[in-house]
Amino acid sequence: MKIKIKLYTILEKYAKGKVSEDNTIILPKATTLLGLTRYFNIPDKIGMVFLVNDLPQDKEYRLSEGDEVKVFSFIGGG
Amino acid sequence: MNNFRGGYYGKQLRVSLDSKKIVKENIDASILRKYLGGAGYAVRVLYDEIPKGTNPLLPENKLMFITSPLTDNRIPGGGSIMLCFKSPLTNAWGESRCGGDFGPNLKSAGYDALIIEGKSDLPVFLVINDDRVFIRSAKHLIGKKITEKIKIIRDELKDPKISVMCIGLAGENLVKIATVMFEHRAAGRCGAGAVMGSKNLIGIAVKGSHKTPIAQPEKLTKTIKTCLKILRENDFATNLKKHGTTGDMAANDAAGDWPTKNWHSNSWGKAEQIYDQFFNKYLVKNHGCYTGCPIACGRISEVREGRFKTPLHEGSEYESLSAFTAFVFNENIEAAIHATYLCNEFGIDTISAGAIIAFAMECYENGILKKEEVGGINLNWGNPAALPELVRMISLREGIGDMLAEGVKIASERLGGGSEKYAIHGKGLEAPAHDPRSGKVLGVAYGTANRGMCHIHPLEGMAYDSGKMDWGLMKYGVPDPNTVDRWDEKGKGKIVKILQDALILPDILNTCKFFMYGGIYIDHLAELLSAVTGWNIDGQELLEIGERVINLQRLFNVREGFHRDDDLLPERMKQKPAFGFYENEDRCVIKDYEGMLDEYYKARGWDTETGTPIKEKLLELELHEK
Repeated sequence: MKIKIKLYTILEKYAKGKVSEDNTIILPKATTLLGLTRYFNIPDKIGMVFLVNDLPQDKEYRLSEGDEVKVFSFIGGG
Repeated sequence: MNNFRGGYYGKQLRVSLDSKKIVKENIDASILRKYLGGAGYAVRVLYDEIPKGTNPLLPENKLMFITSPLTDNRIPGGGSIMLCFKSPLTNAWGESRCGGDFGPNLKSAGYDALIIEGKSDLPVFLVINDDRVFIRSAKHLIGKKITEKIKIIRDELKDPKISVMCIGLAGENLVKIATVMFEHRAAGRCGAGAVMGSKNLIGIAVKGSHKTPIAQPEKLTKTIKTCLKILRENDFATNLKKHGTTGDMAANDAAGDWPTKNWHSNSWGKAEQIYDQFFNKYLVKNHGCYTGCPIACGRISEVREGRFKTPLHEGSEYESLSAFTAFVFNENIEAAIHATYLCNEFGIDTISAGAIIAFAMECYENGILKKEEVGGINLNWGNPAALPELVRMISLREGIGDMLAEGVKIASERLGGGSEKYAIHGKGLEAPAHDPRSGKVLGVAYGTANRGMCHIHPLEGMAYDSGKMDWGLMKYGVPDPNTVDRWDEKGKGKIVKILQDALILPDILNTCKFFMYGGIYIDHLAELLSAVTGWNIDGQELLEIGERVINLQRLFNVREGFHRDDDLLPERMKQKPAFGFYENEDRCVIKDYEGMLDEYYKARGWDTETGTPIKEKLLELELHEK
């Protein structure tokens, strides 16, 4: 299935070479958000929040064709 | 001669503005060994020297500028000064940190601390140039904005590089959210600028030429190299340089950590767009607040044209831009940048200013404030034109600004009409741009912070729950954040206790807290401190000192009448968001805050009914004589 993806700030580096020019990736059907982070080799210990089609979802959430996913982590500071 | 091998001069400067007497006093080494410096040494001094019930704006209040053994441009994060006082905004313990070269200069002038007391009959500024310390008239500085004041002082002293901290018009007008500024860096929170203004002290210029002795120079050089290597290889440090703190706006919005429309919601969905505009159009470059900072997270920005035209300046940090966008429901980034700039020029705290304007907008929406009462300004949510205008009115105490200058707590008490529920604060300090509905550690951290609901001390709550950061504290008892659900309430009170004891250390050691996000943990601070002082200090001892300082600050507040009720959260902060990403998320709701508070008090060894440290705890911390 085709997923639109954007990784932010400290996560940007994990997207290099893995995301096509139209900001999409191809994943097996029903991949979870946790599976998505493993596709990018993002270490599990990094705290992340996910928006799927502009709704917050937990890492167990299963993705569907055409979903738009934003993955955020935190730089820190306030 | 003193009893220090390194890191201290063993001297403090006491300036009595009534008599214009300037005294150099010795500091007892045994006190510094137990309290180190910064907010630690300050609470040890001010607990004894500020009598119970002192009006913070009368001469009996004192204002301390304190360094630490790590206040040194070479130390990673070592460029800060800590200001401590009784807060006129909260009537509680007040402290405020400012980045820049003022701290390192005060240190190299030969002083570990500066104590300002009394009140000058006429406006003055203080000059410290090593042993030469003198007071000058500041009559010609009155009514000037910050940049102009600094320039006049430097011109007058014929020293374009001398470090200057000064108050703006807001400090002169005793605005309770007034700051003390180092250029466009602020000792922002709790009203330090009003205390300084109440003493008729307009500015302080300092320059030092001494080299602070180091007990173990080789060990220090090696430890600094290790720290710099950690920072170079750390993604958080790299991104702080590139994006600054502002770069977290979109992430915090997505996490439900972005209080919006005076806390109606914990998210808005607009942060990404607002940040992209800022980054692509208005950010000019990054900037280090002190000479030599290896991170340099500061933002230099400008608005080149239009009604919110703003010159090149430093500002637009995460908290400031959030306060003038999300808090007030404003999407106009130019107005937000301009309002932030004006806050720095007038000398008021950006966080409190944004929060106060949000409060005023909600009062206006509900008919508690009428158009004729606010000088005809349209205070509808998100009106960009209202932002700079209200910043000016608050700073000058003009019209409605006079009441708003007291902060939301007092303003709501005066306004009545149900406005109290719109006043979102802790102990009188306006809440910053992090939201405990994103993770429950932050709730307890907010409620129990000694200086009130600030953005520095409780920040670790959000970073732990959502960011899964542990700052190397798992070995000291903090559970692995990846095993803790951000929405859970049970267990959070105990976690807050350890996080507070550890993350107050940058305020005791005057090191920039962001370096902890960049991988410089308390064990590194202990190594740096040991090398500088020659004392053998480890992370565990630092934690014990952190706990001692938190307890003495708590005793300061208890003596002023603060108790458990003052640790409670505003109702809105515990409720389901009214809109945004999380409007249907029940887990956001804080269901049993009192239960979390009980757990926290037990972990602290405090009485659960009153929130007061019990005798055994004070004995353990060698505070029993207090």
